[in-house]
Amino acid sequence: MSTAIQIDDLSFAHTGADVPALERVSLNIPTGESVALLGPSGAGKTTLLALLDGRLFGWCGQISILGAPLDPDHPPMCARRPDTGFVFQEFALVERSAVLRNVLNGRLGRMSPLRALMGSPTKHDLEIARTALADCGIADLANRRVDSLSGGQRQRVAIARCLAQEPRLVLADEPVSNLDPARAGEILALLTGAAQARGATALFASHQPDLARRFAQRIIGIRCGRIAFDVPTSELNEDATAELYREVEPIPGIGLRAVS
Amino acid sequence: MMAFRGFGGFATSGLIAAAILWSFATADVELSRLMSAGPRIADFLGRMFPPDPTVMAEIKKGSAETLRIAILGSLGAVVLSVPFGILASETMVSSAVFRSIRTLLAFIRAIPLILVAMLMVGAVGLGPLPGIIAVAFHATGMLAKFYAEAIDGVSRAPIAALESAGAGPLVRLRYAIWPQMAPVVARDTIFRFELNLRESLILGIVGAGGIGFYIQTYVRSFQYDKAASVTIAVFVMVIAIEAINVALRRRFA
Ligand SMILES: Nc1ncnc2c1ncn2[C@@H]1O[C@H](COP(=O)(O)OP(=O)(O)O)[C@@H](O)[C@H]1O
Ligand SMILES: [Mg+2]
Repeated sequence: MSTAIQIDDLSFAHTGADVPALERVSLNIPTGESVALLGPSGAGKTTLLALLDGRLFGWCGQISILGAPLDPDHPPMCARRPDTGFVFQEFALVERSAVLRNVLNGRLGRMSPLRALMGSPTKHDLEIARTALADCGIADLANRRVDSLSGGQRQRVAIARCLAQEPRLVLADEPVSNLDPARAGEILALLTGAAQARGATALFASHQPDLARRFAQRIIGIRCGRIAFDVPTSELNEDATAELYREVEPIPGIGLRAVS
Repeated sequence: MMAFRGFGGFATSGLIAAAILWSFATADVELSRLMSAGPRIADFLGRMFPPDPTVMAEIKKGSAETLRIAILGSLGAVVLSVPFGILASETMVSSAVFRSIRTLLAFIRAIPLILVAMLMVGAVGLGPLPGIIAVAFHATGMLAKFYAEAIDGVSRAPIAALESAGAGPLVRLRYAIWPQMAPVVARDTIFRFELNLRESLILGIVGAGGIGFYIQTYVRSFQYDKAASVTIAVFVMVIAIEAINVALRRRFA
């Protein structure tokens, strides 16, 4: 079975941060698996996903995505990027553009640069965009401007854009954090279902253990930039989850000084 | 610290006083002429009345030419400001490039329009052409800076999203940056057009075309009543520009 993501001994610190956001992370995700990245806010989930998407530089270690290594100092070639799709935590949609335009933006990397610049998607591109809209249940919103949509609708547009890209690897950063539980389940089912239907690998960040358990085959716990556990969903136990969300212990003395 | 500030304040007052004294001493302003300036101006204004309404044809011709200069000059400025705005933006180019282009634009802004117009009259001769070139050049200093700021002011997340999807820099400009900056560009361009129209009213004085030419001609030939009519026409145009501007601003707000 081939490997979708291979990470060896990855460490990374944001510029200006004094503690590393990720420390000695190693993991291996085979093609087709749906994996949840579970951890409290600030654990390093967004950082890890952005790194895998080739948007952060200056890391140490080795990363291989869909069989090709990532360069720690340069973005991947444009031709490779559409294979990795990303669902952004804050959607990252073009607010003043229509829904269909935003979903077609996911196709830009699949078109020739000239066609992309001229704004003339092929019939095929349009068909894929419309299918993605329909799959996400927002076909009727195609011509609405994004700034007139609700949070849940935007979330669907963000996912539709990612699906229109036809990625082989889906990275989703808290794709349901803005939704009520019922909607959240629906959207995650949509995302992991669509990935599975296409034979794609999915890695999604979440801070909700119950959702991770329902939609992932495997759960990776991350805390303070380190992998705390990495288990099949059936083996996830309550203690490990509780430990993941335990308050970070204050460094002795600092709290006292802050009060005085 | 206080002593230093006291000294600094004293030195500044001294410098200002010295500058004023120097100007008086060397400006060749005799007290008698200064005294008679008031009555002379009153006399001058008196001779402007009543304004001569027979120059309507010249006013129409001059205003149309001023409008043409402003429109074509603005068009030139927009065409120049697109590449220069991109090259002056942090988002699109490396810091060495945008810093040097921004410095260049600051220099261009520092040169007064009337000076550029005079130089252009020398270079390409009398008429509207030097005016158009001067307006295009001068306005680019400001408009390219505005465009660069519009590019840099957009939210970054959608740009990162398109980059992640495999879109190149120009495609990102078109689909992630442009939709966000379009209203700002429209507003800035209209603002600059208004300034261009206002500023090109006087370009004729140095021979660069437009209605200012007639003011200069009539004043030089002592036809103050005709100069008065043209001045009133300029005044009306400035008010009209302002009114249109207010209306547009309401529309865009
Ligand atoms: N741009 C940044 N600059 C400096 N520090 C950052 C930046 N982004 C995130 N961090 C820090 O890196 C750590 C991990 O953040 P993040 O990956 O966003 O966590 P999560 O997504 O799990 O909430 C946090 O301590 C956060 O403060
Ligand atoms: Mg995050």
